[in-house]
Amino acid sequence: MTTIVAPMPGTILEVLVAVGDDVVEDQELLILEAMKMENPICATCKGKIRELTVTEKDTVQTDQILVVME
Amino acid sequence: MKFEDLLVELASKRTRALDLGGPDKVQKHHEKGRLTARERIGRLLDADSFLEFGMLACSDRPGMEEKTPADGIITGFGLINGRQVGIVANDFTVLASSNSRVYSKKAKFIREQAVEKGLPLVWLGESGGGRLPDLQGVRGIVTLAGEGGSDRWVFSQYSRSRETPWIIGIMGTSNGVPMWQACLSDFVVQIKGSTLSVSGARALKKSIAATYSDEDMGGWRIHAEHTGISDRTAEDEEDCFGIIKKFLGYMPSNNREVPPRTPVPEGSGASMAEILEILPQKRTRAYDMYKLIQTLVDIDSVFDLKPTYGKTIITCLARIDGHVVGIVANQPMVAGGAMDTDALDKMVSFLCLCDSFNIPLVFLHDTPGFLVGKDAELNKVGVKVTNALHALAQVTVPKISIIIRKSYGQAGANMCGPGVGPDVIVSWPTGEGGFLDPETAADIVFGELSDEERHNLTQEMLKDTSMYPLAQEFFIHDVIDPRQTREFLCTTLRFLHNSKTGGIGRHLLANWPTKF
Repeated sequence: MTTIVAPMPGTILEVLVAVGDDVVEDQELLILEAMKMENPICATCKGKIRELTVTEKDTVQTDQILVVME
Repeated sequence: MKFEDLLVELASKRTRALDLGGPDKVQKHHEKGRLTARERIGRLLDADSFLEFGMLACSDRPGMEEKTPADGIITGFGLINGRQVGIVANDFTVLASSNSRVYSKKAKFIREQAVEKGLPLVWLGESGGGRLPDLQGVRGIVTLAGEGGSDRWVFSQYSRSRETPWIIGIMGTSNGVPMWQACLSDFVVQIKGSTLSVSGARALKKSIAATYSDEDMGGWRIHAEHTGISDRTAEDEEDCFGIIKKFLGYMPSNNREVPPRTPVPEGSGASMAEILEILPQKRTRAYDMYKLIQTLVDIDSVFDLKPTYGKTIITCLARIDGHVVGIVANQPMVAGGAMDTDALDKMVSFLCLCDSFNIPLVFLHDTPGFLVGKDAELNKVGVKVTNALHALAQVTVPKISIIIRKSYGQAGANMCGPGVGPDVIVSWPTGEGGFLDPETAADIVFGELSDEERHNLTQEMLKDTSMYPLAQEFFIHDVIDPRQTREFLCTTLRFLHNSKTGGIGRHLLANWPTKF
């Protein structure tokens, strides 16, 4: 189990994966809008998406869990 | 045999020294999963290359001679990948390698000889701190750094001009001297599970009723992420030796030499045609600058420094056409590439390293500005920005600047922008610049805006951000096709190699403080 957390406060602009998807390391999972930038949030390892805890337009805080992978 | 008893006596003294703190202490040390100082030296140096000095040294306190073989510190010279280095290794099995007068004299000898003979210095640190009661009393405190010829001997432990590369591995609990040495070093590797702090928790518990541990004060995360004292983290001792050897491969032995050139690995630059795939079409979309760097440089040549500290900037050594270069690059993946104060400190430290050891610098711009605000002011952002420019002004190695995308305001200047001393500065056609990022400028000038108004005004603000006017007026030297960037760097580095000096800089930053 690996969790992907928000590196900074911002708003979720896009969700690029769905629960059950197989992803590879470095694959873009979400786009977080912060600092006037669209920041890709990438998978830190290869795996399967087990849970998405946010949806588009959600506001998130630093270190908030966004994705749970297995 | 002639002089047999003398030879037997010598052999027995040497054998005793090789036993370190004795079998029990050595076993205890091994049980912690750690190698002894002599084992470490054996693993780090080329086989049979260790030339030891001071094997028969011991404590100068009467009655302690037998209990202090080599006085707790192993010192000498040896080869790493065929290159001569000075080496110092703390022997934790002898009184926790606490420092004393004789210990300090030995360390001073290696430090001074290494610098004088133009050799890198490698220290393997592990120490419980100052030795008591040896350093107690008025004579204790004035002699703690060892005694010697002048009234300035203490400086040998706390002061330095960068003339040869200094490296330290933090191998275990390290209080006192290894901390001072780390603060003076050019490159610090800390092993996971070790700690590095001025004071030890055990002493603090007694003196100020501290409730925190050595790990809380100086674990690897503290120095890799919060203080920036360490440059790299090692998984274990073997990993640490590998990292030290690798770092040395990028360094000249001293500041009168250029770093060793290596053959260019086959396939380097092979993906240059696709480099624009890395850069998003949208100017507000972040991307990973490491990918861009890896495409540009010789295959597998990136050696990152302080990767988890001040992450809005990347400072790495790499090779281009076999030549060592220092790369300073904004990282849009972290805070959009807006540099914070940690990143500025990290940059200055890197400028000092490259300037001191004749390593040309390449700057890759993609920054919307500095990370400003209350936190930044409390962290003295003004001081850090000025210090970085002050350092940049004194760099005498070649500097090449490439504007990849954003290069706004003072931050663009601090990345060795136009007028800030680049020998050569060019832009990609995607380059943009100005006083402020256009979206921020639109906000400031026109207050709260609707999406449509903001879009229109941003487009207006974006009009004058292209780099072509700067190329027309020769503020920058060219706008290049991104796919030709590697070739541009190879040929420009050849042109910038100064045949009058042989590529040896003036080292004006050699005396800049070694830590921030």
